[in-house]
Amino acid sequence: MPRVFITGLGFVTSIGNDAATVTRNLRELRHGFELYPPFQKSDIPCKVVGTIKDFTADSTDQEDWTFPTRYKIKRELLRSMAPNGLFAHCAMIQAIEDAKLTEPDISNPDTGLYAASGGSPMLTHYHHERLNKLGVMRCSPLGIVSAIVGTLNFNLVAAFKIFGSSCGFSSACASSAHGLGYAFDDLSLGRQKRMFVVGAEDGNVDAILPFAGMRTLSLQNDPNLASRPFDAARDGFVGTGGATVLVLETEDEVARRGVRPYAELLGWGQASDGWNVAISHPEGSGSAAAMTRGLRAAGVAPEQVDYVNAHATSTLIGDISEARALRSVFKDSAARPLVSSTKALTGHGLSLAGAMETGFCALALRDGFIPGNAHLTKLEPECAGLNIPLKTLEQPANIVVKNSSGFGGANVALVLQRTAA
Amino acid sequence: MPDAAHPSSGTSKPFPTAPKPFAPEDESALREALKRCSPSTFEAAVQFRKTGNAEHVPAVVIGVIERFVEPDLRIKLKDADDDLRLIEDLGIDSLTMMEIVILVEEVLTMTINNDELRNLRTVGDVKTFIDCKIRGLPLPKPTKFIPIEHIGAVMPIQPPFLFLNEASVSSTAANGKYKITGQEFFLQGHFKDNPVMPASIMLEALGQLAVLYLLEGAPTEPGKMVSSQMIFFTGCEGVRAHRICKPGDILTLSIKPKRMKMPLATFEGAIRVGQEKAVIVEEITLTFGFVDAANQPVPINGTEHGGSVNGAEASAATPPLRVANG
Repeated sequence: MPRVFITGLGFVTSIGNDAATVTRNLRELRHGFELYPPFQKSDIPCKVVGTIKDFTADSTDQEDWTFPTRYKIKRELLRSMAPNGLFAHCAMIQAIEDAKLTEPDISNPDTGLYAASGGSPMLTHYHHERLNKLGVMRCSPLGIVSAIVGTLNFNLVAAFKIFGSSCGFSSACASSAHGLGYAFDDLSLGRQKRMFVVGAEDGNVDAILPFAGMRTLSLQNDPNLASRPFDAARDGFVGTGGATVLVLETEDEVARRGVRPYAELLGWGQASDGWNVAISHPEGSGSAAAMTRGLRAAGVAPEQVDYVNAHATSTLIGDISEARALRSVFKDSAARPLVSSTKALTGHGLSLAGAMETGFCALALRDGFIPGNAHLTKLEPECAGLNIPLKTLEQPANIVVKNSSGFGGANVALVLQRTAA
Repeated sequence: MPDAAHPSSGTSKPFPTAPKPFAPEDESALREALKRCSPSTFEAAVQFRKTGNAEHVPAVVIGVIERFVEPDLRIKLKDADDDLRLIEDLGIDSLTMMEIVILVEEVLTMTINNDELRNLRTVGDVKTFIDCKIRGLPLPKPTKFIPIEHIGAVMPIQPPFLFLNEASVSSTAANGKYKITGQEFFLQGHFKDNPVMPASIMLEALGQLAVLYLLEGAPTEPGKMVSSQMIFFTGCEGVRAHRICKPGDILTLSIKPKRMKMPLATFEGAIRVGQEKAVIVEEITLTFGFVDAANQPVPINGTEHGGSVNGAEASAATPPLRVANG
């Protein structure tokens, strides 16, 4: 079975629009939160969002959007994109440059693309309103491909001329982690030699606000306090959007191209709670099973794990479930891993989360640090027994686990390893 | 021939149904809809909405097309003739065509059906189409692009005496191209050590384009079609040759029907090389005849049908032109 490596990264996130900025903000624990202007209304209870800087994509007319001038995107491509497609397109360009891929490396039957986004509720809403008001024949022919779940893969596969496997993943907040898992399978089964895995979300009013109806968003109006995973005073998650792209390649391709990978993806596991459509299992049974399976697939013992990048979103129930899952897998041994949630800095990227945070793990593995858990002042008593660093540690991890969980009780655990310099 | 496709351009017939009064809120909606178009496009749209005068339609349509064309290709629209092709020359795909139509519909307050769109291939097609819609005229037959295989399949004239590489035919005109290769058999002797395309052959090429028009574009009587075996040359008037044409030159041929009444069809024609006039003919007249459509095999494509038209028929079909070498 060929080994699988992460060889390129691209980021458009609330904590930076390039790998260097993201790395610095992870190390220094600087968050990306702001009082989000569209939320500053009396009838909107939540106020804070992990905002994307240097992009404006709030308009339903793609030609109104602005983005950094280094990205040149023709109208022909832009017109079918959701905001998350714009973010991902730019992150793709970064990842391609970062991995030093040439056009023939990208466009061939052995290179595929898996993507995950929640579609674009904003554009769905806009086009349906137009349909009701003006009739269907006055609707944009590109309304559907810009809006429905799948818009991300439709657009990227066409724009970057992908000839290999492609599809979208839809398991809510586990989606892009699933994408990474199945991309790993395609590579290790020899079906593909290279995979782009993309997570992205609009991160705007229509994408985030509906979660307030579930009472899952933080109502804090202080950007420094809104996202507090594992803290006793946490009151919900903070929404964010953006995009992350990872390039995964087989060992043969890494050797052929002579590139230095960020990290190796050793394996993955998944399991489901079979419990509730929206509430995680109180004991974190699915999450624990996913971690156990992931470690077994990777051939790693729990004691070997140095760091877990938790799913922990800062919700009341979810963080406790995951803490219990972590305790059941890693016990109370002295060798238990460090655990932190970088959602304290970025907010919760929903479908984007798994890819974004795996990207963070790859940066941490390459640069030899372990990100701390920001905004934690008083540990939630139910989360006691976890080894949570408050500050970033300048020490290299060797084995890292990345957890992701989504609606319906879908759980994914990815296992990564540092590669020799 | 920019006006070829406008049967009634230049007139200012009122809009068939009286236009609705143009309210200030209509103007602001129009401004919003056309915000990425040139100011003159907006102005033309306002004038059209206020007066219903169809003269303003081409400016609106061209302005809307321009807005959807990539900036580096927009220059082509500046001096565009009606033969400018939407897909090949302007990079407009079928989805962009839909965007153009939706905006035109909104701005001109009209409705266009999907199946009416399929055959709009050139800027001229689009202008004529919108013009006919607004004036309530029947829609013209769309321009057909006829590749070399199909030309070979339908024409009674065959190589080495066929001087059309590609052609497009509408109900009001036909255009074609022929590249002088230098391998034409008659260039060996015309002239000695100095190959020049004979003007008589250039006239022959225009005649061939007229034959193609009769077979593919001309209006016919119900149940009838023009027989490829009944077209012959009768005469021509006002022939001027302006330019010597040599191997490597690409002849751009165009003919327009002037009069058509069984059994005679009269055309005007011109050949250009680039922007330079090569040959002008004021009148070229062919005789033709109808047969029952049901009895005639309809060619599918060149490879399947090309062999059925033989050389003997071809040489009988167009007798040599009686014009002196210009």
